[in-house]
Order: sequence, then C-alpha cells, then structure tokens
Amino acid sequence: MVEIVTQSNVSAGDFETQDLLLNVGPQHPSTHGVFRMVMTVDGELVKDVIPYIGYLHRGAEKLCETMDFRQGIGFMDRTEYLAAFNAELSYVMAVEALADLEVPERAQWIRMILIELNRLSSHFMFMGAFGVDTGVFGTPFIYAWRERETLIDLFEEVSGDRMMYAYFRPGGVAWDVPVNFVERVNEVLQSAEQGISDFDSLLTENEIFVARTHGVGAISAERAIALGMSGPSLRASGVDMDIRRDQPYLKYDQLDWDVVTGEYGDVFDRYYCRLLEMRESVKIIRQCLDHLKAGPILPEKMPRMLRTPPGEVYVRTEAPRGEYGVYMVSRGGNRPHRLKVRSSCLSNLQALTELTVGQYVADAIIILGSIDIVLSEVDR
Amino acid sequence: MTTESEEEQFNAQVGDHDQIWSIIDNALLGIGVTRELGYMDVIVSVEAGEVAAACAALRDDEESMFDYLRSITAVDNMDEGMEVVYHLYSINKKHDLTLKVFLNNDSLEVPSVTEVWPAANWLERETAEMFGIKFLGHPDPRNLLMPEEITDSFPLRKDHPLAEIEVLQGEGMGYSGEDA
Repeated sequence: MVEIVTQSNVSAGDFETQDLLLNVGPQHPSTHGVFRMVMTVDGELVKDVIPYIGYLHRGAEKLCETMDFRQGIGFMDRTEYLAAFNAELSYVMAVEALADLEVPERAQWIRMILIELNRLSSHFMFMGAFGVDTGVFGTPFIYAWRERETLIDLFEEVSGDRMMYAYFRPGGVAWDVPVNFVERVNEVLQSAEQGISDFDSLLTENEIFVARTHGVGAISAERAIALGMSGPSLRASGVDMDIRRDQPYLKYDQLDWDVVTGEYGDVFDRYYCRLLEMRESVKIIRQCLDHLKAGPILPEKMPRMLRTPPGEVYVRTEAPRGEYGVYMVSRGGNRPHRLKVRSSCLSNLQALTELTVGQYVADAIIILGSIDIVLSEVDR
Repeated sequence: MTTESEEEQFNAQVGDHDQIWSIIDNALLGIGVTRELGYMDVIVSVEAGEVAAACAALRDDEESMFDYLRSITAVDNMDEGMEVVYHLYSINKKHDLTLKVFLNNDSLEVPSVTEVWPAANWLERETAEMFGIKFLGHPDPRNLLMPEEITDSFPLRKDHPLAEIEVLQGEGMGYSGEDA
C-alpha cells in the first residue's frame, strides 16, 4: 500500500529543491566559439559556473619559438582574428624593441589608422553578436555585418586579406597603402559614423534592450581590477585605465581624444562604453589622416634575416578587448627563445563566474556576450 | 655581486628609473632583491620562498600600489632551470614592474599568489600545465587548456617535441612523450 502523506504532515522546511547541472557548449551558437560552461542552476538562478576552455589551443606560442621573427606575424593574426592588426602590432613592437628598430613616421601613422579601423570593425562585430544575444535577432546583426564589410573591404585593399592581414613588419609595414587610401578611409569613416548612430538609436534606447541589460552582471571596480580585467570591460566599471593614454605607444600622445568610462559595470555599461569608444576611434583616425605624409615605410637598411641581441621585453597595447601583451625573450639569433601572449580575453573570461553567479539563467548568455571573448585568443 | 664601478655604471643607466627603484626598495624592505634593467620595465628577482610575501608587499605599499596583475608566465632555460615571470602594473601610479623567480630544475615549486591577486588563478594554472611548475597553495590546480588526462607532459618546455598531430591521435590523447 502506498502511504499517502497529507499536506499537513509536511512543513515547508522539509522540501528540498534539487540543483540542476546545465551544460552549455562547447558547440553552441551563443558561446561565440568553442567554449563550455557547466552551470549549477537553482530554479531560475545560477548558483555556480565552471568554465572549460582549451578547445582551440593550438600552441601558437610554441610554434612561434620555432620560427623566425617575420614568420611569427601570421600566428599572431590567428590568435586574435577579429582584430588581427592589433595583435600583429604588439608582436612587431616587441621585435622592434629587441632589435632596436626605428619605425618611420609614415608607417606609424598607417599603423595607427589601421588598428583604430580594426577596433571599429571588431566593435561592430560585438554590436551585432550582442544584439543576437539579447534577443534582437536579425536587424542589428545584419547592420553590423554591413558596416564591418565596408571596413574589411578596405583592409583587403591594403593588405590583400580580409582577416589574416600579416601586413605589419618589424620596422614598418609590408608595402605602402594604395594611392586612394585617404579617400577610401574617409568614405569608410562616413559610413561607419552613420553605422554607429544607427546602433545608438537601434539599441541604446530600445526598451527591451535596456530592460534586459541594465543592472545585469555588474562588477565593482575593485573586483574587476583584482580579477585582471582590461579594456572596455574594465572601463565600464569606472576604472580609468587605457594603455593608449597611460603608457602611450605609436602617436597616441599627439592626438586629442578621450578615454570612455562607465559607472555601474553592468552589461549595459560594457555595451555603451564600446559604442562611445567607437566615436573616439573615428576622431583618432580623422586626426591621423591629417598627419599622413609621404615618406618611407621601412627603415633604410633592413637586414634580410632579422636577428636580435639577447634581451626580453613585455609590450602591451590596447586591443579592442583589452590589453594584448607580448612577452618576448630572445637569446640572440633569429627566433624568440620564448614568446608569451597575454590574452585580454583570458583574463576577462576569468571574471565570468563572479559576474554570473546570482543572476538568472537567461542572463548568463548576455553576460558572456558582454565581455566579448574571442575563443582563439583565450586558448591561443 | 657587483663591484663598485659596476654599480655606478648601473646607476647611470637607470637614469629616469631612479624613482621607481626607491619605491620598490622601500616596498620590499627585508626581502632579498636582485635588480636588473629591462627594455621597458625594471626587473627585480626574488627568492622562490618569498614571492608571495613580496607580491603582497608590492600590492599593499602605498607608494608602489601594484594592484593589477598583467600576466604570469615561465621561461624554460633548460639546464639553468626555469624562471617564473610576473608582470605587474599599478593603475593609480601608472608604473610597472617585472618580478622574477628563478627555480632549479629539481625544485620546480613556487608559492601561489592567488591570495594577492585573484587574477593569478588561471594564469598559474596555465603556467603549471605548460611547464610543470607547481604553485603551492593554489585553490584549483586543474589543467586549464590541456585535456585533464594529460598531467605528465609539458608542451612549452624546450625538451618537448613538436609532435605531429597524427602521433597524438594515434596513441590516444594520453600521449606520454617518452619517445621524444
């Protein structure tokens, strides 16, 4: 016989809800690549998140140790494929520091323009993908794609490739930009500016978007610093840190632009920081165009085989997702003894558990989306 | 040990780094330090046992305030042992520092600094699996990037071969690296 427990015999304390383990990924469209996380879920609330990474680990660091300084550039592209110019820049700057190479003026301005354009294309990509994450499927994604396409067309005209540019060289750039470069950049900037305004009106004041992002996944400035976050994800928490201004490289100290910071460190601030940052990038590129004068693009006497004296250097640059650092140790010779890529995404992703615990399951994906990871940079 | 003239030469080279040296010396009072000059940063090395104390001192000292850990990595110097390299930055003071620990090949152990900077968690896990360095007191010493079964092969060591992918697949992922 079945014993029937009547309602009156059970007090509220006897009920126990069972936690649910929810596996997301590694192959899931909303994880932005091959990323797996195991969430412990209590009803609608996330109690714990364990991220698993490494699915894209290709050992780029080890491979670079077996190749000469110029061959390594291609691998840097592949670590950070959405902002490959930024990744290359850190690498070639490390080689230049070790080999003591002087970069000609024109090459520096070309680099400035390209890395800032790359920041635009990378942030457009974020806007589109983030729109999909928040449930505004379709329109923003296609808009973002359209804007990014015009930028990528320009990169192709300059470097010959749409994503893996391999255009920067230790000492300068591979070849000069096309003759109509300035016109084309102006054209692209105009459409990009329109695109930024489109996104501003499409998302920033969209009632659904705001309801889903305000106050979600917030992190304090102290915790963001302690967890090693960088880039817009850190600045959204109100930390005024931008390597372009604090430890200027290339020509950033000669230009007039502002560092954008947020206030609450929530998902909305991380989105809005990026949007405002794009306007600053447009400002920077416009000023760079004025400085672009004819001249050499590589030092006069470049050796066929580049060798560096022994030494070590840690070069950091502000990539779209944060600090992209290259630590290079040379023992003399034509290849690095050790190359370490400091990935901004890896350090940002480390904060995921802290950002997500206590939030709703439905928000976990937009929190992940808001730190804008590129898994190939996380795993290298 | 450096002689006096070498010391003078070194001091002449440091030039504009004077200030940061005195800050670091003050912060690391009582901890044995070797100084070196890098291309962009100043480099100090400490004994393995003192690294956690040194890091805590560098973070808490009001003048140095190294509140931001950029990266942790290691360099394999083959017969000469390994070095663990910490890149620190201070967001308030806008200065940075490279901290190094030299390890002998027979004692690849160093205290964890996760207590000082939570950011060290994943960075130490990566360094541990890639170089076989043990971070004592790490709260979560699992593999980060490598499959969990591989615990006896350290890819970024210099003696680890660049194996063909077929080799790895043929022997299953638990490749031991014995035939290297």
